[in-house]
Formats: sequence, C-alpha cells, structure tokens
Amino acid sequence: MRDLIDIWVGIQTWIFETFVGPVLFRFGQMAWYEPGYNAVEFVMLGVVQIAVIAVGMRFFERRWPLERPGKDDGLILVDQVYTVLNKLGVIPLAIFVVTYPLVQEIELTVRAWGFAPPRLERVLPWLGDNALASFLVYFILYDFAAYWLHRAQHAFPWWWALHSLHHSQRRMTVWTDDRNHVVDDLLITLALVLFSQMVGVQPGEYVVILMIGRLVESWSHANVDMGFGWLGNRLLVGPRFHRLHHALASPEERHIQDHNFAPVFPIWDILFGTAIYDERNRPTGVADPVVDADNGRGWLVQQVTVFWRFVRTLVPRFRRASAL
Amino acid sequence: MKKMAFLSALLVLTIVGSARADAVLVLNSEEASYSILSRSGRAELARLPVGREPHHLIVTPDGKEVVVGSTATNELLVLDVKTGERRRVVRDIIDPYHMGFSPNGKWFVTAAYRLDHVDIYRADDFKLAGRIFIDGLPSHLAFDADSKTVFVTLQQTGRVVAFDLQTQAIKWNVKVGEAPAGILMLPDDKRLLVALTGADGLVVLDPKDGSTTATLQTGKGAHNFWPKGDGRHYFLSNRVEGTVSLIDTQDMKVVGTVRVPGGPDCMDITPDGKELWVTQRFLRRVAVVDIEQLKVVASIPVGKSPHGVFMLKSEAAGPASGPVRAVSTAGGSK
Repeated sequence: MRDLIDIWVGIQTWIFETFVGPVLFRFGQMAWYEPGYNAVEFVMLGVVQIAVIAVGMRFFERRWPLERPGKDDGLILVDQVYTVLNKLGVIPLAIFVVTYPLVQEIELTVRAWGFAPPRLERVLPWLGDNALASFLVYFILYDFAAYWLHRAQHAFPWWWALHSLHHSQRRMTVWTDDRNHVVDDLLITLALVLFSQMVGVQPGEYVVILMIGRLVESWSHANVDMGFGWLGNRLLVGPRFHRLHHALASPEERHIQDHNFAPVFPIWDILFGTAIYDERNRPTGVADPVVDADNGRGWLVQQVTVFWRFVRTLVPRFRRASAL
Repeated sequence: MKKMAFLSALLVLTIVGSARADAVLVLNSEEASYSILSRSGRAELARLPVGREPHHLIVTPDGKEVVVGSTATNELLVLDVKTGERRRVVRDIIDPYHMGFSPNGKWFVTAAYRLDHVDIYRADDFKLAGRIFIDGLPSHLAFDADSKTVFVTLQQTGRVVAFDLQTQAIKWNVKVGEAPAGILMLPDDKRLLVALTGADGLVVLDPKDGSTTATLQTGKGAHNFWPKGDGRHYFLSNRVEGTVSLIDTQDMKVVGTVRVPGGPDCMDITPDGKELWVTQRFLRRVAVVDIEQLKVVASIPVGKSPHGVFMLKSEAAGPASGPVRAVSTAGGSK
C-alpha cells in the first residue's frame, strides 16, 4: 500500500513542481501553494475515474447491454463531454472559484463565533482507532445529506428545472452521471461542502468519498441489467435500482421518478419509504417535451437553454412572458 | 468493538511508552492525526487522532508539555512532552495556526492565518487579553528577548508588523517582500530574520523600526528556520527549491545546502545534534538529514501533509531550551 502511495504522490509532486508550482511562484500566488497541490490530485483522480469508466465499466456495457445500440447512440456523446469536463477539473475549478469565497466566509464567520463542530471521534472515541470505520461513518453521513439534496432537486420546481437536464437523457450509460447543469453542480457542491465542514469531514477524506461515491454513481447509470443480489442491492446502489429512478413516467406510474433517490447507500430509500425493488426494465427520460428537447443538443446549448428554463421557473414575470 | 479499541489503544501506548526515549512527533495536517516515530528505528510506531488540521506545536515555558494547535476546531491539544500522550484540551482558542510563548512566559500569542487576526492570551490560563484584526494572512511570529514586542509576518500583503504586547498597539508595519513566512529573532536581539516564501531568500530587519539591513539568497520559497544549536548557524527550508540551507548568521552567508525534495517545511534536531528531521509536505514523509555530511540518509513515511515535527524529550532531558528554540518550533505555512 505504501508503495502505491509513494508512486501516487511522486507523480503528483512531479506534476505540481514542474507545471503548477512555478506558475504560482512566478505570479506571487504562494497562498495557493497547498490548494494548488491538492488540485493536481483532484485532476489525477479524475483521470483514474475516466479510465475506470472507459475501460472497466464500458466492458460490461459492451458485453451485456440492456438497450442495444441504435439510432439514439449519438445522444451519448454529449454525456462524454460532461464527464471529461467534470473529471478533469474544468467544471469543478469554475465552481471552486465561485463557491470558495462564500464557503470560506461562512466557515470563518462560524468559527469566529467560537463554534467549531467536533469530529465524531470526540463523541465516539473508538472511531479514532479505526480509520476504515471512521471513513465509512463519514461516507454514510455524506450520502445521507446527498440523498436529501437529491429529493430537494425533485421537490422544488426551480431546482427540477435544472436537474431535469440530468433526467432528460433517453440513452442512459456510464457517462450520464456527470450530465448536470453547472448551476445544479454549484448548488450541490456548496451544500455538500458546508455539510462536510459541519460534521467534520477532513479534506483528504472528502476527496476519497467524492471519488468512490462518483464511481458508484457512474456505475449505477450503466446500460446493463445488473444488481448485486438481494442483499447487495440493499447495501449498495446498482444499475437496476437507479435505472428505475430515471424511468419514463407513464399513466400507471406518474411519479416513478420519486423513488430510489439514494446516491450510494439504498438504506435511505428503504428508511424513508422511497425504495422500489422490481425486475421490470423501463425506458428512461422525461415525458415533458420541453425537457426531452435537451436530447440532441450540444453541451453549450444545453447549458444556455436549461439556464433559461431555470430562470423562467424561478421568476414569475419571465414565466408569464414565455407563456405568451 | 469497545474491547478491541481498548486493546489497540493499550498496544499503541505500550509501543509508544517503550520508545518514548527516542520518539518523534509529526503533525499530519490534512489527516487530523499525529504520528509517533521511532528515532532510532526510523519507522512510524503509531498514528493517533488529534482535532482537525493540526499545523504547528510549541513547548510550554516549563518544558513539561507540548501544545498542538488544532486550527479547525478552535482548540489546543496538550500532550506530554516525554511520551506524546494526550493530557488535556484547551478550548476557545480561535484558529491557532502558529503560536508562541513570550520568553518571560507571560503571554501566549497565536496567528489566526485564515481568520486574519493575532490573539494575545495570558499564558497561565489561556484567557484572551486582546485580539488584533489585521489583513494579509498572519503567518508566523517571533518575540524580542524582553517580551515587549511580538513580530508577525503577513504572508499575503508581504509585510511584517510589530505589536506591543502590553498595549497591543502597532509599533511599526513595513513591506518586506513577497510572502514572508518564517521569522526569527537572533540571540543578539538586534537582527530579525524573515524568510520570503514568494522570493528566493531572506531579509534581515532591524527590530527597532523594521528597516531592512541585509538580504541573503538561499533558494526559491525560503520558508522556515531552525537553530543548529550553536547560536550562530540556522537551517532554512526552501519549499519551492526543495532544499534546506545552512546559514552562518555571523557572516550572513549560506555555508551549506542539502536537497530535500517534496516541499520541505518544519524541522527539528536530534538531541545529539547529529540529525535534522524535516517534514516533506508533498511526499507524506519526514526526511532525516545527516548534518555533518549534509545528506538525506532516510525518509520515513507518515500521514498526509506532515507539517510540525518535534523530538519528544527523554527522561534525562530538562526543560525546553530558550525562547529562540520555542519560537522556531512553530514554523511553516499553508
């Protein structure tokens, strides 16, 4: 394990000291020296994730596809663009630039008041002796927050206007997970970072949670009819479980997408009564023609049209104007 | 589970206890933990939880305890100076990034790096005596010998500011160069060394008015000091260059350089004066430098982003040495 860490940080250090560090030094930005080093790791993790998706997960999709290749295959391309932009840090960097001052201000204000949420280890000292248990507890807490945020994305019309972009994909694949509007990504990131700071997730843990969580989510969007067995499907979200959440509503199942929200651990759906386990395979997408029109559009056009969808939902005046 | 945890803790304490005579403490700043290393075995013996984002540490004036600043939980964790075992927690110390006790033991001062303020506490009970808000990322601090003044580097604005400890008034505030970090008062109490992390060396200031009296080129990212122990020679880590310079402060020149890769930061010296231990922030390791040969002879794996490093005191050791050493203990930067 230590050999792997040495190889990993060796590459990270070389990239940083060769390309990033000298630029920060040259332009007098040494306050960003440590964050810059961590940003290199973020991009490296993105490369690993893309490799796992493109090689590992795609193998299963090619070998055992649920939906056979067809005329809609072109719809997948834009999702690949989303994945590359996200995993290689382009979107996260933009979000970081916008959210950092805000998150920093909130955190510092709270700390200046003297409030510093303790890590769980203070309440449960045994956690401190077990790094794996500690990591799992923080992961579960993080996923709990993500579950409720996901429900909020479906509950508030203005948020659904953004999140519906993710659901509009008719050809769901391992690339679909990153298909989100940047404002949607921004809101979710802001909420999860603040939550993580409140419960005491360490920066290092946050990166690992993010990486494992997003890989599980990429897999749960895969175009395969697979699960983890009766027990496994109740412990970890898989493609069969999550595909139901993306199912196209029908007159018999008008609210089918209000189920199976959990990002990683299905326990939240089971506990809060939103879980459905069945073997039926349903087509995916959104019946609303305005939302369905996202299909076939490129990244930029999707971002612009969905942003206006969001504004119209949020501001009644624009909604009326658009109805005329 | 409780039983297992108890047994593991017992095992750790036994190992630590048996190695206390030659143990080294390292703060893993991005992991909420500290490592205890065996100096002779050059291996990590244990990794124990400690607050959140621990960066620096400082020995108490009586030499019996070592104080770790847990920046993100607004508290100090007080450890036994001989064993590294946890003794108590001092709460409501806001963002204790860099710390120091005044030489007379009366004041405990912290630089709240992220919150932009300098706090002056009474050292006997850690009660706040004054908080001075000042822009520019207060980074490191040092005192004059008669405990009247504390000098603080402001990393973002490139300035050094001097505060009167009694009145908390600013005595002077001067621009010194790019990203000043480590700051050190020499034993003559007449020269203040400031490492410029945004440049490639140090400046020498006159503590009376902050005027620059000399400069010295050492390496890119000059960052933090540590005394060799003879009152004349000091080590200076150069984070960007990946080196540690040995400086003769009498002739004010570099007399040796050793390559220490991976963003070298804080340092400490073994009691026999033969080895310099340096945290390698990026590589998650601590380098062991043979001082006579000026060569890295070992590099020991620890946790993520190791920052402060401290040689625990053996039974034979007396109280911690003077104020220069104590101030230097708390070095480094974000």
